[in-house]
Amino acid sequence: MNTPGRPPLGNPYLPLPVRLERVTVENDARDLKTFELTFSDPGLREKFTFVPGQFSFLGLAGVGEAPFGIASAPHEANLAFTLKKAGHVTTALHELSPGMELGLRGPYGNPYPLHTARGRNIVIVSGGFSFTTLRSVIVHLMRPDRRGDYGRITVVYGARSPGELLYKDELRAWEALPDIDLTLCVDRADGDWPATEGLVPNVLREVAPSAKNAVALVCGPPVMLRFTHPVLEELGFSPDDVYLSLENRMKCGIGKCGRCNIGEVYVCKDGPVFSYRRLRELPGEN
Amino acid sequence: MTPRLLAKKDLGRFIAALAKEAEVWAPVKSTDRENCRFGPVTGAEGICLDCLQTRLPVKELFLPQREILFRFKSDSPARVKPVSDIPARVVFGVRPCDAAALELFDRVFLDPAGDDPYYRHRRERTALIGVACDDPGTACFCTAVGGDPHGTAALDLLLEDIGDRWLCRPLTEKGERLAAARGPAGKDDCAETERRAAAAREQMTFAPDLAQLAEKLAGAFDHEIWEELARPCVNCGVCTYLCPTCHCFDVTDEERHGRGARIRAWDSCQFSLFTRHASGHNPRPTGTTRLRNRTLHKFRYFPHTHGPLLCVGCGRCIIHCPAGIDLRETLETLTATLR
Repeated sequence: MNTPGRPPLGNPYLPLPVRLERVTVENDARDLKTFELTFSDPGLREKFTFVPGQFSFLGLAGVGEAPFGIASAPHEANLAFTLKKAGHVTTALHELSPGMELGLRGPYGNPYPLHTARGRNIVIVSGGFSFTTLRSVIVHLMRPDRRGDYGRITVVYGARSPGELLYKDELRAWEALPDIDLTLCVDRADGDWPATEGLVPNVLREVAPSAKNAVALVCGPPVMLRFTHPVLEELGFSPDDVYLSLENRMKCGIGKCGRCNIGEVYVCKDGPVFSYRRLRELPGEN
Repeated sequence: MTPRLLAKKDLGRFIAALAKEAEVWAPVKSTDRENCRFGPVTGAEGICLDCLQTRLPVKELFLPQREILFRFKSDSPARVKPVSDIPARVVFGVRPCDAAALELFDRVFLDPAGDDPYYRHRRERTALIGVACDDPGTACFCTAVGGDPHGTAALDLLLEDIGDRWLCRPLTEKGERLAAARGPAGKDDCAETERRAAAAREQMTFAPDLAQLAEKLAGAFDHEIWEELARPCVNCGVCTYLCPTCHCFDVTDEERHGRGARIRAWDSCQFSLFTRHASGHNPRPTGTTRLRNRTLHKFRYFPHTHGPLLCVGCGRCIIHCPAGIDLRETLETLTATLR
């Protein structure tokens, strides 16, 4: 699992046909849906290997394609992506029903450093709908045959309101488990979900996971990232032990189309996961 | 490899012989002499070697302004049909700067970690015959960015003017085959090309320390100088479209009556949509941030990653900028301002 997966095809621009198996509406606003996919050619599932944190392009012929983090764990049968309806590609994808075919390219990018994090405690911090690739991490780490490879797992995950939290059934299941410390927080609580009120960085400060022998994996909107770094620093996390996943507009996924760069690095092929130390060296252009 | 000779009056026969084996492309005259463009030829007729450069660099034959990546039918959307092969090609009359730009493209598109099959196919199927520059234009500055008016980068064969003949310098096996039928050149012929190359070099006096500038640019991201440099810029993008080294592209779908194609087309970092997220967030929201990105890409990021600068000194951006921005002045201002 230490080597990131790479596309199984020769021509990186040709999408692989995938079939939509299941669509789950994730939030009250109904603009977040999880799409579960299988390869139309079953042999391709074997060849399609990835590590949590990598992303793929999803597309529809005649509409176009866009990049999305992989929300499923490598051992799960279906590939899953959670998409917010925002641009023209996601709007078209939100119209699809199970049984329809779409195109997938990938996997691309560098994953979370789970291989080097073996034997260490894992702290996961996320806000909003960027929780997707971190769901992949959690499901991957919670696998019974893998759980022993890592120490404590602490998760702080927040959304605007309880109805906007992703993967609610899984969150409930994880809350009941002894080997994962899950703290959910919302800007505004309501009756049917016992989540803490507060912003992710503040709640993280209260939860105060120890930095000792720990790695922090962070993904969220820019404003959350800005206020989370200082808290992790307060808690004693070295910039080498904090990893962030970034997003930028991209067209190719392989470092050629020229638009996802931050300074000299391309988010697509040098990221999307960067250590905070690396990110600090780059221009503040994201 | 033995230098050979081609009499200018034999150009038609030379081209016709090439055209038997491959598609031949050359700068072709149009009504506007300044607006030559690479087009298919079968003889000497129409070929323009008087004009210094085509308006569009030769990059359009390797990364076309618009190309089909694959076709699809709407009723079976995921069954894609890749585009077919192209014929073998010889491109005649490439200027050394435009050819040098292809060597820079190679670093991007022939990257073993993510090979671009469309570009690779065109590169492998194409032989390049260059024509050296003895009389550089007023905006030319190839010597300042590591190039040469008689430069050989990426070429298979270089033609150097020696009066009523060209000295043909084979640079690869492909080039040697192209010139095999010509007679060998003498020592005096080679000496003449040396003399002309030296004279051409002397005409280009712009010589800033760009290696030092690349170092200075490392810490210049937040400098206020970018505001001043970007003030005249209207972000029209002409510098990027005409630049032989600019290679950014967009990928979009086009569909009509149940048939469609995924299209790759040139794009420009000077446009605000280039980097705008679906959420509306834009990492490069202003003209200043976009001009800064283009300048840093060419003179800091690319050299940092690959070594050479991402500029070949052709001067097209200087000649065609509607706001009169002269890249040489930009580089001089940066050199003088940054520490």
